[in-house]
Amino acid sequence: MSRLAWIPVGIVLLLLPLYLEAPWLKAGQYMMIGAVGAIGLTLLTGQAGQLSLAHGFFLLVGATSYTVLAGPKGDHLGLGLDPLISLVGAVAISALAGMAFAPVAGRVRGIYLGVASLSLVFLGLYLGQAAESLTGGTSTGRDPATFKLFGFPFSNEGDLVVAGVPIRGTERIWYLFLALLALAYWLARGAVRTRIGRAWRAVRDNEAAAAAMGVDVRRTKASVFAVSSAYAGLAGVMTVLWFDILKPDESEYGTYGVNTSIAFLAMVIIGGLGSVGGAVIGALVVFGLPQVLTLYSTDLGWFTGSVTPVLVSSFVYGAAIVLVVLFEPGGLAAVGPRVKHRIRELRS
Amino acid sequence: MTELVLQNVSLRFGGLIALDDISFTVSPGSLHALIGPNGAGKSSCFNVISGLYRPTAGTVRLGVQDLLRLAPHRVARLGIGRAFQNTALSPHSTVLDNVLLGRHALTRGGFLAGGLRLTSRQERLHAARAREICDFLGIGASVDRPLGALPYGVAKLADIARALATEPSLLLLDEPAAGLNTDETAELAAMIGQIRTDLDIAVLLVEHDMELVMGIADQVTVLDFGRVIADGTPADVQTDPDVVKAYLGVTT
Amino acid sequence: MTTFLQLMVNGLGKGAVFALLALGFVVIYKATEVVNFAHGSLVLFGGYLVLVTKDHIGWAAAAIIGILSAGLLALAVERLLLARSRHADPFSLALLTIGVDVIITEEIIRRLGVSVPFIGDAWDAKPIQLGGITLFRTHLVALLVATVLITAFFLASRYTNWGIAMRAQAENREAAALVGIRSSRVTASAWLLAGLLAGIAVLFIATQDFSGAGLSRGTHSIALAAFPAAILGGLDSTVGAIVGGVAVGLVDALSTYYVSFAFAKSAVFLVMLVVLVVRPAGLFGTRETTRV
Repeated sequence: MSRLAWIPVGIVLLLLPLYLEAPWLKAGQYMMIGAVGAIGLTLLTGQAGQLSLAHGFFLLVGATSYTVLAGPKGDHLGLGLDPLISLVGAVAISALAGMAFAPVAGRVRGIYLGVASLSLVFLGLYLGQAAESLTGGTSTGRDPATFKLFGFPFSNEGDLVVAGVPIRGTERIWYLFLALLALAYWLARGAVRTRIGRAWRAVRDNEAAAAAMGVDVRRTKASVFAVSSAYAGLAGVMTVLWFDILKPDESEYGTYGVNTSIAFLAMVIIGGLGSVGGAVIGALVVFGLPQVLTLYSTDLGWFTGSVTPVLVSSFVYGAAIVLVVLFEPGGLAAVGPRVKHRIRELRS
Repeated sequence: MTELVLQNVSLRFGGLIALDDISFTVSPGSLHALIGPNGAGKSSCFNVISGLYRPTAGTVRLGVQDLLRLAPHRVARLGIGRAFQNTALSPHSTVLDNVLLGRHALTRGGFLAGGLRLTSRQERLHAARAREICDFLGIGASVDRPLGALPYGVAKLADIARALATEPSLLLLDEPAAGLNTDETAELAAMIGQIRTDLDIAVLLVEHDMELVMGIADQVTVLDFGRVIADGTPADVQTDPDVVKAYLGVTT
Repeated sequence: MTTFLQLMVNGLGKGAVFALLALGFVVIYKATEVVNFAHGSLVLFGGYLVLVTKDHIGWAAAAIIGILSAGLLALAVERLLLARSRHADPFSLALLTIGVDVIITEEIIRRLGVSVPFIGDAWDAKPIQLGGITLFRTHLVALLVATVLITAFFLASRYTNWGIAMRAQAENREAAALVGIRSSRVTASAWLLAGLLAGIAVLFIATQDFSGAGLSRGTHSIALAAFPAAILGGLDSTVGAIVGGVAVGLVDALSTYYVSFAFAKSAVFLVMLVVLVVRPAGLFGTRETTRV
């Protein structure tokens, strides 16, 4: 997208809270969580060619770190730090957790790595249940601290009115998430175009050739794991703020489980492996669809009994993965340029 | 550059002997050819020099540096550039992007530096140098095109451009003429000569095309079944009875 | 001592089932280099068909239907989807199987609803006491069936044309094609075999004896443990699959008892991680060599 095209998009996103009801804003926020996480995964899997099913685990690391760093001292372990510092700290801790996986990531390739990374999800499941002083445990969970920016709370506290619309917690969180997503997007776009992005792609395409050009393959893999985990950690912080609770999973199919890892992988595949913009589009589909279907569920009247919005969305993204691999390996990100190309061909 | 010296290098894969007590020296600024029939151990030899294979015995030195103690990326950073037999480029990236990979060790900056656009000046400077190298090799017109869309001959040159972008003092070329037609091969020969004279880079060349080798090399090492069977000037080697028997005799 | 022996027996019984799953996995990988993430859904599919047919035609006939259905589903996935995308690399095809897994699994879980039915075989939940050790009949039957099938597999792969074609293709696809081996047949038969094995495995998994839980999402996650089994042994080694399967069964049994049930799930994956750090291609797998 050209730079000018961003201006109307930005204006619309900034104005939406003035027009949309809270449930719609919540749905939008959820998509933004997906987008941040998916950008991280597309760097790892798409740019650097390392399959990971551990994204759900790093979400949990970020979520728990924020809650512990910002949490009050009390029943659970809490350091009572400033929320902004806690957010940055949680992202840093997630990056370190990703780095700690480097001995495995550096040795094990491709699909092997994907399966190896699955073990982190199971580790997270166990630790989430066992470390109650950090996570609050599966039965009650734990309340995260309200996010504050230099004292300004992202909750319903205090009166703030813009153009006659009260800007309450939901609206404030919208702007917070929008800012975080914009930052995450901008950093990723910049990085893939420079030295580190070239090193990632070289490692993906041919490790021997990358090394012959002076790229330290192990270090590069460790670094991309760290970056990807940092994104997942940020998405994890956003997740606890969105749910307003940290609750570890009871089974491997939960907020931080295998299914979540697969959902992120689906976003990245559907959007087009390696495409930062595509990851955002993929998140709109995979995280957006269940939210939007739920909001429309009464109007649609489709969802009776066992057919739920979540189920329908799973079918859609499952099928989307199959179709993308079969027919459009570049994902949705490649559809735009292809259509443009076809139109140009038809004209001439 | 300092001398590259291989001394008594042997390489085994299980029971298979790929290299058997190989010794030869590449002098600074020279154009040294490594020839031999298929499976003679030429590519294995390259892989040992670039650190991808660890020999079972012997030493490989660049000046006083023991290359066998270094990881492949460290070997590359000592000034050994390499172009590959199968090009080993990223087909979806542009020629420029591929060539810029060669600047990796000469530049700095990771995710944050790149993401925050702190390296844009560095990127511009090095892109300019990469374009210069592409111009030198005559592929300047294709720099911004994706590699997969270009003819094989251009990809071959892009691979050499990427190796040159590391600013090497020794360039390893693995069968650069493979898959090229007669005209392209002649152009390539001229190009390799220019790399050596204009850029003052020593070249170690693995090649099948005897005409190309004999026309431009100063020194020729002949391998057969993992052994060195001859080592000398093209004129010496051409008349060596062992070489005629093992290699030239077969082709003529 | 009795406890330890008991755990070993339980571990072996479970390990036999994991070995069957891992073997299917490895057979597909050897033939096509594709990692089949849809293995869990094949397990569920086989189990579901047993469930819906057993009250009408009896357990034995239902079991056969379940096994065949899982095999045919695997074959269909290969023929209708993977074979259609010849240009896609193994990496993309593995991703494709994730999509397939999501669709099949979600549909079966929807159909099961809140029920967690056992698929009620003849020998479930009737343990035998033997010198202080409890022998679960499901484990014994699983061990027996797995031994017979695995022996048959190794004999077939050594002495039949099919086995030779399979091994040739695993060794070198192009060379195998040059000597007239029909790659598409070998690939299809690998998927069929893997599906059949998954269909057999589920008969043991969704029992009181094995997991204490019937057919559910939990069955799918038990099938996920075939991943560490296959990877631990080495994805391209059939012997490795058997060893890996038994290892996973033992680790599961021991860690459940000595640590906790919650930890056992993680334990098998952690053991796999340790093995991978030491031997990146698994215990019996061949290391990728660099080729440039």
